[in-house]
This record gives sequence, C-alpha cells and structure tokens, in this order.
Amino acid sequence: MRPGRLAAAIALAAGLVAAGAGAGGLVLTRHSAAATPRTPVPALPTPTGPIAAPPQPSDAGQVAAPVSLTIPVIDVSTKLIRLGLTASGALQVPSTTSVAGWYTGSSRPGATGPAVIDGHIDSYAGPGIFFRLIDLHRGNRIYVRRADGTLAVFTVTVVHMYSKNAFPTQKVYGPTPDAELRLITCGGVFDPARGSYLSNVVVYAVATR
Amino acid sequence: MKAKKLTRRTLAMIGLLALGLGVAVAGTARASEGSGSGTGWIRLAHLSPNTPAVDVYLYSFGNSNAMIVLHHVSYGTVSQYQEVAAGDYSVAMRPAGAAASTEAVLSASVDIAPGHAYTVAGMGPESGLRLAVLDDELTTPSGQALVRVIEASLKQRVATVTFDGSMIAHKVTFGSVSSYQAVPPGTGSVAVTDGSGHVSSQVALKADTVHTLVVLDGTNGLETVNLLDAAGNTDDPVGGVATGFGGTAPHGPSSPVPWLAAIVAGLALATVAALRLRRPSRRPISQG
Repeated sequence: MRPGRLAAAIALAAGLVAAGAGAGGLVLTRHSAAATPRTPVPALPTPTGPIAAPPQPSDAGQVAAPVSLTIPVIDVSTKLIRLGLTASGALQVPSTTSVAGWYTGSSRPGATGPAVIDGHIDSYAGPGIFFRLIDLHRGNRIYVRRADGTLAVFTVTVVHMYSKNAFPTQKVYGPTPDAELRLITCGGVFDPARGSYLSNVVVYAVATR
Repeated sequence: MKAKKLTRRTLAMIGLLALGLGVAVAGTARASEGSGSGTGWIRLAHLSPNTPAVDVYLYSFGNSNAMIVLHHVSYGTVSQYQEVAAGDYSVAMRPAGAAASTEAVLSASVDIAPGHAYTVAGMGPESGLRLAVLDDELTTPSGQALVRVIEASLKQRVATVTFDGSMIAHKVTFGSVSSYQAVPPGTGSVAVTDGSGHVSSQVALKADTVHTLVVLDGTNGLETVNLLDAAGNTDDPVGGVATGFGGTAPHGPSSPVPWLAAIVAGLALATVAALRLRRPSRRPISQG
C-alpha cells in the first residue's frame, strides 16, 4: 500500500474513533447527569404521645417549644435546632445537613400562625435531612414533638417549588388565623457557578384537629 | 469501494445516534410548578345572649351536603378557623338537635376570597337574630397588634373598651363590631366601661397578632373573651433559603459541546480520509 493510502486509512480510522468517542462521552455524561435516586424507604412508625388539644382561640400561643420532627412517610426523624435570621435578614439554616431547625421568630408549632422549619436537601457529598421533602403530598402527616412531650400533628395541604429570585415571602411567612406549618428546603436546578440551588421547595401544612 | 461503503454506513449510524442524543438532551427540561393554592378561612360563632344553642352548618354553594356541622353551639362559642377552598359558601343555623333536612332558622352566604379570613356570627337579640359576616384582618402594621371589639352583651348594651388606658372602641352598641385599632404590643389591662357594668382583665397582645375582644354576658356581670384572629412572624425572613450544597444534584460536564465537537471533527477527518482513499485508484499502480 502506498504511504498516502496508508495515511488516509489511518486518518479514516482515527476520525471514526474520535467521532465514536465523542458519541460515547456524550451518552455517558448525559447518563451520569441523573440526580441521586430517591429510593422508597419503609415508612417510620407513627409517633405516639399525648396530642395536645388544639389551642383554644383565646389562649393560643401557650404551647411549648418544638424539639423534634418526624415525617414517617419520607423517613425523616430529627431533632429541631433553633434558628434566627442572618445579618442580611435571610432565614438561617442548620450548620449541619442532618438536622432541621425551627425559626424562633415564627409561631411555635401548634399555636396560631405559620411555624417555619427548614433543613438541607443535601451536603456536598450526599442527601440531607430534607432530601425527600418534595415527595410529600396532600394528606401526608407531619409530627412535631414539643418540650413538654406533647405532639402537634399537621396534615400537608400543598407542596410548591418557587424560584429563589421570586420567593413569595408573604405567602410563605405571612400571618394565618390557624395553626400552620411550613417546611422549606432547596430544589430545582443546581447552579455550580453560584454553588446553590435556584429554587426552594415549600411544604404547606395545617394542624390536624 | 469497501471503505466507501463502510464510511457511508458509519456516517448514517452516527447521524442517527446524534439525532437520538439531541432528542434525549432536549427531553431533560423540567416541568414547572403551579401557583397559588387558593384557600381562605372561616370560623363560626354564636354571640346572641338570649338565643338557645344552635347547630351550625357550612355548605359549599350548590351542595346540599354540609361540609361542616357544629352541634349544640351555645352563646359565647367561637369555633376554630377552618381552611377551605376559596369560593361561595352558605352558613345555616338550626335549633340544636333539629334534623338537617328541616328549614334553617337563619342563613347567610359568604364569598371566601383566597387568603382572607371570615367570622360568621349569630348576633343580636333572639327576636332580631341575624348572621353577620365579618372580614377578619390577618396582617398588622409592623411590630404592632390589632384589636377590635364585638359587643355581645344584653346586660350592658353600650361598651367602651380601653387597653392600658388607650381607647380601642368608644361606645360600641349591642350587636355591632368596632373597626380594628393598632396598639403597641404588651401585656396590659383591658377595661370595659360605660353604663353600670365594669370589667377589666389582663390581656397579652403580642406584636404582629390580631385580636377580637368579645364582650359577653357572664353569669356574674360582664366577661371579655380575647380571640386570637391571626398571628404572623416577628420578622419575616427575606428571600429564599440556602438549604443545599449540590451533593445530590445532577453533575458531570454540564455542556455537551466538547463531545459534539469531537463527533464533528472525527466525522470530518473520516470523510476527508475516505475521499482520499477513493481518488488514487485512477493512477498507474506500478512505479517500477
């Protein structure tokens, strides 16, 4: 074979290999782009304990502070730390991704008003305490145990995802005439450049009577 | 010839592959979430001193099956708020124990707007009993408390109510409601005066809470009941919440461009090479 033909044959082979590698790389990277799967887990047992009578309208606000949170259907069981606001006025988040926190400027769970709890969807390495929060649906139960041992029981009404750029502060944190709960975590697209998710997931729940 | 065939087939396959990938990549776009939940709140009350206990029914408009029935509601009773879908409702009162099929003594329609709260109360004397639909305030001026007064006492038909000496409601008459007044938060003494009666009690009015003080006939003189209409946060957090580090997010080279470039460059090289392989066959083969 002439050197020219040999070179052409090698170039043909090399071209095909390059194109194949490109196609393969494309397939593989698209494939690995799938998020960590949300494998179903056996539901935790329902917490038991005295369920404090719903506060009477006249003495609401007298309930004890929350200490732990259980959401059996998504396998969440965590103590609740206390959170305030950051210097810029944003809601603080727990310093570890394995616990959730209650915003002390909000209502105590079970008292009139929206009680606010937030937690991480993930760490740098893997799932956080609220990884499966978005899997909650209307009707799911949420249990908050309080310092006096009583339980506040909530029922999910709706789950929403909001862009952080257009977070509806009033809708999420605004006053309510009944005892409600808001669970907040991150969701949607992760922006590696900003190092944060672009959206928040908010679970709305009301005290169960 | 063989090389040409191979190139053609390979080109076709790679073309199909690229097409399929394009579709797959386009298919990963996310569906977006819906908006507002469209609910409001309603509570029911019996505030007519000389009217016996009643059963209170809440119907969604056009539905003859009651959504909520409160049995044996006596004077001074105020239910908790119930969250309901926004829309038209009717409230009916029947004597306690009367069958649901009997004609209601009293009924009223309520248009529940999203995000709004209402109190529907039987008010006035039994002879002139009516169902009042009250718009309940949810939000306060920042750091303040809001208070209004419902006068529901036959023993003292006019009431003037103060909180730590400052006026909340001046000469409210029986069966009527004062408008909300903003007051600095704190624990103080609520005094009901005017006419012969006088009662005072300690009331805690926290910042960002809304209250209704109901003046009732008690067994001995007057009673005031402090209803909590709504409560908000002391300080609403600003904006979204930073609750993720991306450890479970989709990852890897986010751009398919390098791979697509490799495909295109590889195909170009292979095509040029295939053309070179075809052309030289016209030349003499032997050179010596």
